Amino acid sequence: MSSPFESYDDLDDADERLQAADPAERRVAIIALGHSGDPAAVGHLANMVSDPDAGVRQQVAMALGEFDGPEAASALVKLLVDPERIVASAAADGMAEFKDPACADVILPLVRHAHAFVRMGALRALKELRRKDTLKPALEALQDTDAAVRVQAIGVIGFLKLEESIPALTALIHDPDAHVRRAAVSALAFSQMKPAAETITRALKDDDWMVREMAAETLGLNVNGSLAADQLIATLADQFWQVRLKAIRSLGKMKIERAVRPIGNGINHEQANLRKEAAAALGEIADPEGEAYLAVVANDPDPDVRKNARWALQQIAARKARAGS
Amino acid sequence: MALDQIVDGLSEVSCDVLVIGGGTAGPMAALKAKLRNPKANVVLLEKANVKRSGAISMGMDGLNNAVIPGYATPEQYTKEITIANDGIVDQKAVYKYAQNCYKIIEELDSFGIRFLKNENGDYAVKKVHHIGTYVLPMPNGETVKKALYRQLRRARILISNRYMATRLLKSADGRIAGAISVNTRTAEMLVIKAKAVILCMGAAGRLGLPTSGYMFGTYENAANSGDGYAMAYHAGAALANLECFQINPLIKDYNGPACAYVAGPFGAYTANNEGSRFIECDYWSGQMMLEFYNELLSGKGPVFLQLKHLHPDTISEIESTLHKVERPTRGLFQQRRGVDYRSESIEMHISEIGFCSGHSASGVFVDDNARTTVPGLYAAGDMASVPHNYMLGAFTNGSVAGIDAMEFADSHDFAEFDASEVAMERERVMAPTTREDGIPPNQIEYKTRRLVNDYLQPPKVTRKYELGMRRLAEVRQDMQDRMIARNAHELLRALEVQSIMDCADMAAHASLYREESRWGLYHWRTDFPEKDNENWFCHTLLSKRDGRMSSEKRAVEPYVVPIADDEKDLYDKQRIRASA
Amino acid sequence: MPLASYETSVPVVVDDAKCIADKGCTVCVDVCPLDVLRISDMTGKAYIAYDECWYCMPCEADCPTGAVTVNIPYLLR
Repeated sequence: MSSPFESYDDLDDADERLQAADPAERRVAIIALGHSGDPAAVGHLANMVSDPDAGVRQQVAMALGEFDGPEAASALVKLLVDPERIVASAAADGMAEFKDPACADVILPLVRHAHAFVRMGALRALKELRRKDTLKPALEALQDTDAAVRVQAIGVIGFLKLEESIPALTALIHDPDAHVRRAAVSALAFSQMKPAAETITRALKDDDWMVREMAAETLGLNVNGSLAADQLIATLADQFWQVRLKAIRSLGKMKIERAVRPIGNGINHEQANLRKEAAAALGEIADPEGEAYLAVVANDPDPDVRKNARWALQQIAARKARAGS
Repeated sequence: MALDQIVDGLSEVSCDVLVIGGGTAGPMAALKAKLRNPKANVVLLEKANVKRSGAISMGMDGLNNAVIPGYATPEQYTKEITIANDGIVDQKAVYKYAQNCYKIIEELDSFGIRFLKNENGDYAVKKVHHIGTYVLPMPNGETVKKALYRQLRRARILISNRYMATRLLKSADGRIAGAISVNTRTAEMLVIKAKAVILCMGAAGRLGLPTSGYMFGTYENAANSGDGYAMAYHAGAALANLECFQINPLIKDYNGPACAYVAGPFGAYTANNEGSRFIECDYWSGQMMLEFYNELLSGKGPVFLQLKHLHPDTISEIESTLHKVERPTRGLFQQRRGVDYRSESIEMHISEIGFCSGHSASGVFVDDNARTTVPGLYAAGDMASVPHNYMLGAFTNGSVAGIDAMEFADSHDFAEFDASEVAMERERVMAPTTREDGIPPNQIEYKTRRLVNDYLQPPKVTRKYELGMRRLAEVRQDMQDRMIARNAHELLRALEVQSIMDCADMAAHASLYREESRWGLYHWRTDFPEKDNENWFCHTLLSKRDGRMSSEKRAVEPYVVPIADDEKDLYDKQRIRASA
Repeated sequence: MPLASYETSVPVVVDDAKCIADKGCTVCVDVCPLDVLRISDMTGKAYIAYDECWYCMPCEADCPTGAVTVNIPYLLR
């Protein structure tokens, strides 16, 4: 009987197998190296990045993605600039799982590469590495002509959570692409400074509903979000219920008492999701004035609405009891 | 060589910690055990292949029970699980999970597993339940197994694929001594001596028969045939609350959820034929399933997942997760039927029954250190009794088990077992291969599972259960005397059906023991329709005593997170009664 | 009792022209949780040997050459 265990000797005849004339045989050898988990496999794989067969190079990219660190990164960087899209895509996906900040050294130069796909892949990988020296190139990438690149650059900047990047993120509120504006609004959530909250607030009036939705949600996550209470209340008239829903949630989360009446007035909306959110928000705010509105939905046909209304009434009762004692 | 030809062979290896099952909890247990003592030998034994085995073979679309600072507290989570499980919870293990799981998320993140993040790098936690906020989506969650596997290789864990464990070995004084296994492609047997053993063998998912009639169209990975439950039983370990079945809401005919945790944060919901929500219960539980079941049968049925009120862009975003992660054939299934989420609601149904603590509470009894009642034997994941623990619970409790088991191994020597046990087990395992003529395993299995559906599926009726047990006993006799296996692969199925039969018997025995109704649909006994806290506010433990199944009560441990009456009340008021 | 075998349509389709099992690849056979795939002695290509498929997809997703297609089993289509 042979050993019952998986082998850890994958590298023994690797060089020979990697030089097989048949590209399919080379692929098989590469798969084994990728699964080996042995860091010494990276060197063997790195020798294969110029293989004449695109399928083999794609396999090399996938195998390298099983490793981390500068050596794997420098090999993947060569595959990210591969003319074949299948190879470049595999390289981009592999890089996105890197966690070793040292990988950034070899990835950084690609942020200025001629091809948008390469710039995008490089920025996507840099995001998780959270290295301070990636801020400057990422800020420059905000001027990129390709919107998808700008979105990834926002991620790099947002993950770093540095206040100095707020003006650059703020400027993106006028970006022609809605995805970019949406990402910028989300990234601004971390800032402790008022200008960021003001920018998010302005996005409540964006032309695109998904940007407005993101702005309404993000104000609930930002420390200065309550400064925008009046604008959030005005958002309760947005033509998209999805946007109104996030505004209600944020107002509830921030316990904005003056929102009770406008939220309550909309509690009978035909969309059940909205009634449910309104009831929940009135509970979070727990102002006794909310009781009258909650009575309207106490026997709502939707059990989720009733459930939230019951919970909300209990919150109000608890607050009254605390005030009384 | 003929396909899966049987080879005669028996060999023996030894290790410090043996982990059986390489799905979710198992890899984490093996990794943690090895990191605890890098000099020790850790073996990870797997019936399939660790690369793609278990409940998350194609990854997972999100965490359902993430307790993340700023969104939920361990106290709050412990309360929710206690109430969702009708109070029958040893809170210490749940609380420990809740305290540790965030650390595990961070660790999984460091492995390269991708969770949804906002553009500022924070986890994008979503609110689905109306009190706590626990859902963390994983739209790129298809890489989970890949990331785990490379951690195992890096730590040089001894991985044994395509070995099915069949029985545990113990010493005369009752301590764990190892396990016996069989190669699923050659039928060669392998004895593994171990100082500590961790069972991570998943749910008993091949118990009921799916309504499609396709035996392998189960909700759980069909490889999860309840081998761990059967092995723990035969080793004398106690199994808790097996009457608390797993039953899940599914897309009709398809084995995947629709899935409320993916689509829910975007505003989708489960609705009846009138397009209205009907579920009163907040947390995924037996109560929720009872409401689902009642609605299916009511004049307002059947039940649908409703997305068509959402914006087309939102639906595209939902599809990109639903059709890529966890159950990627879902898109193909809908496409063949011409179902477009934008214009049509998705018909839903309920799954077959099974045991699975991941979604309910039926599992091998463990304490907050993942220890079973057998010294040196541990259990984690879907087969251990920590309730509602899902994927993150499997990782977190697997981690607990790995560390504790290595500490046990470090302070104990190998226990001696009786060599005749191996010989007897070899005879039992190989028996179906010795017959010239008989019944193939697939027919034994079909009949067993058809009887499970006919007689054991809730609502549970005492007389039906008695009849069902009689029928099952007849099939068991056929299985023991007449089942044949003509090659190693068929032998694998023959061994699995023996686990399935044991689980069916345990499901019946445990259900008859608890003379009340509890956990909604999971344990709805029509001849004891009320919850009886006076007599049955307790766990039930099933174990093998003198070769027979035996059940006993066990008190619920005092709560570490007290629950005020008005909090219980809040949930109780949201409930509809079984009789309503 | 005597045994008979009966025909059944199986969900996994392998494109022999793309399959490189004859070059030593065993990826799909390795990853299948139900262990239903085998490599044919005659063609050297992978095929589904047992009608016990959970249609879970690792064989299709992990195939290096895109040779494997998983369909929904007929009984539940």
